Amino acid sequence: MKISRNWLQSYVDLGGISEDEICRAITFLGFEVENVIRTGAPQLTNVLVGEVLTRNKHPNADKLSVCTVALGDTLGVKTIVCGAQNYVVGDRVPVALPGAVLPGNFVIKQSKIRGEFSDGMMCSAKELGISEDATGLLILGDRPLLGAPINSVLPPGDTVFDIEITPNRPDCLSHLGIARELSAWFKKDLVYPQENFRGGIANNAATRADLLASVRVDAPEDCPLYLAHVISGVKIGPSPAWLQQRLSAVGLRPINNVVDVGNYVMLESGQPLHAFDARKLAGAQIIVRRAADGETLKTLDGKERALNSTMLVIADGSKPVVIAGIMGGENSGVAPDTVDLVLETAIFKRQSIRATSKRLGLTSDSAYRYERGVDPHSAQEAAWRAIDLIIETAGGQVVGPVVRVGSDIPWQREIVVTHDYITEKLGFDIPASEMRAAFAALEFTITREEETVQPARGPAWTITIPSWRDDLDRPIDLVEEVLRLFGTEKIPAAVVSSPGLVGDDDPVVRFNRRATDYLVGHDFHECVNYTLRPGAELKTWVSETAAAELALANPFVEDQSHLRSTLIMGLLASLKLNQARGVAVSRLAETGRVFVERNGQNLECAAVGFIIAEDAARHWQPRAGTDFYHAKHHVVSLAAMAGVDLARQPLAPITGPYFGWQEGQSAAAGEMQHGWTARFGLLNLGMVKAFGVEGKVYAGIFVILPEKLAAATAARRRYADFSLQPAALRDLALVVPIAASAGEVQKALAKSARAAVGTAFVLEGVTVFDVYQGKGLPEGTKSLAFSLVFRAPDRTLTDDEVNTVFTKIQDDVVATSGYLIRK
Amino acid sequence: MQDQLSALLAKAVAELPVIAARPDFEAAKARYVGPNGELTALMKQMGAVPKEARPAMGKLINETKAQLQTHLDAALARLEAGELAAQLGPAVDATLPSPDAGPGTYHPLTLVREEMCRILRKVGFTVADGPEVETEYYCFDALNTPADHPARDAQDTFYLPESARFANVTKKTPGEKYLLRTHTSSVQIRTMLKGEPPIRIVSPGRVYRRDTTDATHSANFHQLECLYVDKNVTVRDLKALLDYIFESLLGKDTKTRFRPHYFGYTEPSFEVDLSAKHLPKVKKEWIEIGGCGMVDPAVFAGVGYDSEVWTGYAFGMGLERLAMLLYGIDDIRYFYQNDLRFLKQFA
Repeated sequence: MKISRNWLQSYVDLGGISEDEICRAITFLGFEVENVIRTGAPQLTNVLVGEVLTRNKHPNADKLSVCTVALGDTLGVKTIVCGAQNYVVGDRVPVALPGAVLPGNFVIKQSKIRGEFSDGMMCSAKELGISEDATGLLILGDRPLLGAPINSVLPPGDTVFDIEITPNRPDCLSHLGIARELSAWFKKDLVYPQENFRGGIANNAATRADLLASVRVDAPEDCPLYLAHVISGVKIGPSPAWLQQRLSAVGLRPINNVVDVGNYVMLESGQPLHAFDARKLAGAQIIVRRAADGETLKTLDGKERALNSTMLVIADGSKPVVIAGIMGGENSGVAPDTVDLVLETAIFKRQSIRATSKRLGLTSDSAYRYERGVDPHSAQEAAWRAIDLIIETAGGQVVGPVVRVGSDIPWQREIVVTHDYITEKLGFDIPASEMRAAFAALEFTITREEETVQPARGPAWTITIPSWRDDLDRPIDLVEEVLRLFGTEKIPAAVVSSPGLVGDDDPVVRFNRRATDYLVGHDFHECVNYTLRPGAELKTWVSETAAAELALANPFVEDQSHLRSTLIMGLLASLKLNQARGVAVSRLAETGRVFVERNGQNLECAAVGFIIAEDAARHWQPRAGTDFYHAKHHVVSLAAMAGVDLARQPLAPITGPYFGWQEGQSAAAGEMQHGWTARFGLLNLGMVKAFGVEGKVYAGIFVILPEKLAAATAARRRYADFSLQPAALRDLALVVPIAASAGEVQKALAKSARAAVGTAFVLEGVTVFDVYQGKGLPEGTKSLAFSLVFRAPDRTLTDDEVNTVFTKIQDDVVATSGYLIRK
Repeated sequence: MQDQLSALLAKAVAELPVIAARPDFEAAKARYVGPNGELTALMKQMGAVPKEARPAMGKLINETKAQLQTHLDAALARLEAGELAAQLGPAVDATLPSPDAGPGTYHPLTLVREEMCRILRKVGFTVADGPEVETEYYCFDALNTPADHPARDAQDTFYLPESARFANVTKKTPGEKYLLRTHTSSVQIRTMLKGEPPIRIVSPGRVYRRDTTDATHSANFHQLECLYVDKNVTVRDLKALLDYIFESLLGKDTKTRFRPHYFGYTEPSFEVDLSAKHLPKVKKEWIEIGGCGMVDPAVFAGVGYDSEVWTGYAFGMGLERLAMLLYGIDDIRYFYQNDLRFLKQFA
């Protein structure tokens, strides 16, 4: 909302208060000053009215003249060199004398110009900062007094504050509203405009039923009050200068006197108004109704609007003429030849205006105010005020009938608040007298004041809230009003109070923190990627049905249309960006939410993921490359942080069309049914290549339900005694089918070993230490070598007893699994 | 015999320091002090020494033996040192870079978030978390957002289709639509519904706005919000918290100020400005940093807290904005590109 300082001055005397102070006041009253625009001449000293007495060509320059300029009796005549061409001897012009400072910090000094002495400068409008006009000197008409200060001759400048009004304060979408706030802040009186016309119609003015026969409101729920006044005999023309200046200052283009008055009163009071050309109302009728489906109206912006039955319109006897509260139609507006007016001031329901404005994608100053709420009591006074100004600027007189359909919206609001309550909420004391003054300044009336003693001492006030402050209806709302006028800058400092006991952070937060610490500690760079990803890409990772489940209803851009189901693609995108920019990067990681589908329902999960790309940097000493087991190692570690022991989980190869992993080079564990999944290995080579990333990329991701993490606070482990006796070691190589996994072979061997050892002593470990395939082995087999560790709790094992057991193990594993012993 | 001893020692002194290999050393050692060694042979001659000369001669033999042993030890130490040195290559060039990648880096948003959480933990705030997919109730209704508020528009907020089902994001009412949370205030509601006051939480997290991405806007960004609910919480306490946070973050000469503002979920409400020295690229004295206020009684009513008993405050800010201020970053998109040259600057 643009607010003109000159305009404000009509209601509150801000003389002597600087712009900065006004901005500060507006800011601390709770509005944001987005911009301050100055118009007109700034205050200039040593710039006076002068008259050109002589003008001679400069001896050394074709385009310059040497002039003598009269500046009145005291200052006499000065010689000034001038480059302008648009003046003649006898013109009166602004003259800046040495010592003057023009806009742009341009200091005027005595000088020599091409050898000729110059004792000042004659100025253009631009040089004075009035306008952009630099085509020549500003010629002053009306022959102002010689030597007069230029500001006394030029129209006064203005300062316009562009203010953001919060949605709770529609009353401040008006100059009077802001003036009221400033009058309260600066403790100055607020002067309301006084209307001459207050409903009385001159005796000689007959009722003109031909101009307005009837007003009917068919939709009272959307239009509780409709006022119509008829003004006859107006002459449409340009507005007077003062009115044009005020509208122009706040960015409105003056149109004609009647339209300008309507806008002026709206910007003054916040009440929108609309004027019809009475001639154009078919049947001299006004009907406030819902539009019929299929009706159309060409609005004043020249667009044809399709209406429907949800929309409130003002219609005449045959057609809609206004989209109520939003915009008038071309078919009924005021035209240069309009003579008789019907002036509408009405109250429309906020929700109705908002819904229609939204449906039509059409807004206006009027709609903006109705949507936020117009003072239910302003319609009458605004009509009177507009009538005064129309008669003043366009002539005419009010004739009957004055029509009022509906009734005043009942307004009765009282809030009871105590001094004690306000103090308690603020946490510091403001004297009761200051609170009373704040209420009075905002035109809240204290209708009752009682001294209370229980539960606390101090006055209790019953306060009547004015009709324009619909935002206030509870005692807490008045705390803010008191604090606003007291000044939020004056809230006293204090020490933060803090409890002795602090709880635990959320389990997801703790998990993410640990995972990030781990990954950063393992040389990963933590990334943050967008949660929204393109839908097409998702189909690489999940089924088409699952992808559909992750679609947004209203994506904003195509490549951010779906919730991510994995962190991998964001990390790949980061890798791609770095590769494209020639930045060598290998290890990237991220923690964050992913969304996975299970049984047709989505689950929001916590996740940690990483990628390890081929190191593109060249090193003076090469290092071994990354393989599957690097990825596995990190996923095992990360899963452990969530209480999941991957060593005890079955691993499955990742196959199938939907997964971004390379078949045979990747593995998965876990099911969302159990609350978590882990995947790791090589990313699908084709997918990575198609995505635009170079080289092989290994990756891992661990996904877990937040609620599973919360439950993962495992029972405290129990310590198990361990033996201090020496261990006995035996190695055993098994020849097994190529397809047999190390896991299953280990399991079979461990089972045989545990059985053979029995309770005689302890089998501490069965660990694979060699994998061999090739020469010396039968076709289709490989050899897995295991190290077995035995130990007794109480003694050194003898070779004999270990050998006995070891033989038993070999016999058993061969018998039960069919593996062969490699000799 | 005395001469023989001297000669023996002299020979050893000449020979031992130049022995280069351990077998040579072992042979030399046997030659001098072994059972058939020269010194042993001389010692055997002691019987022939006249009785009165024996003590002096015994002493001389012992001295010679000790000296011999010292030379042997020195030679052995020299050999062993040489053997260990032979296991090593030449001395390293310590200035060569390690070919291993690293070190890893924390994302600047993590650094700023964790710093804020640490500061807040000191005054009793614990970190709370909640779903990013939310429902209209938790994101809007419970926060006293009017039914026709523009923030609910499909123009400003991402919605999921009506058919979408999220098994682990609870709805308040069956007809509610799922959406992507527009602020982390929904975590406050869930926390209040789940627990009992007093409550003192900080909820950092990802939020979503349907906005054009440019240097200062991003379709998803991060917020950090604080909520404190207790008896007798005042505006002054809120101001004290903000002063504490920013003094901790930016030093004692940091100031904050409140400007009255409007938010549906707090009353009174304020915008918070910050004034601090040494912030890179900041030219204005006061910079807007967040919003705050006293929890509106309507919000308490919604979660079943008696606002006659319980009072509270809430504060929220954008993490990217804070990070941009602290580090002097001028484009929010850098946070989401993960250019290594960016990431490496902060950790």
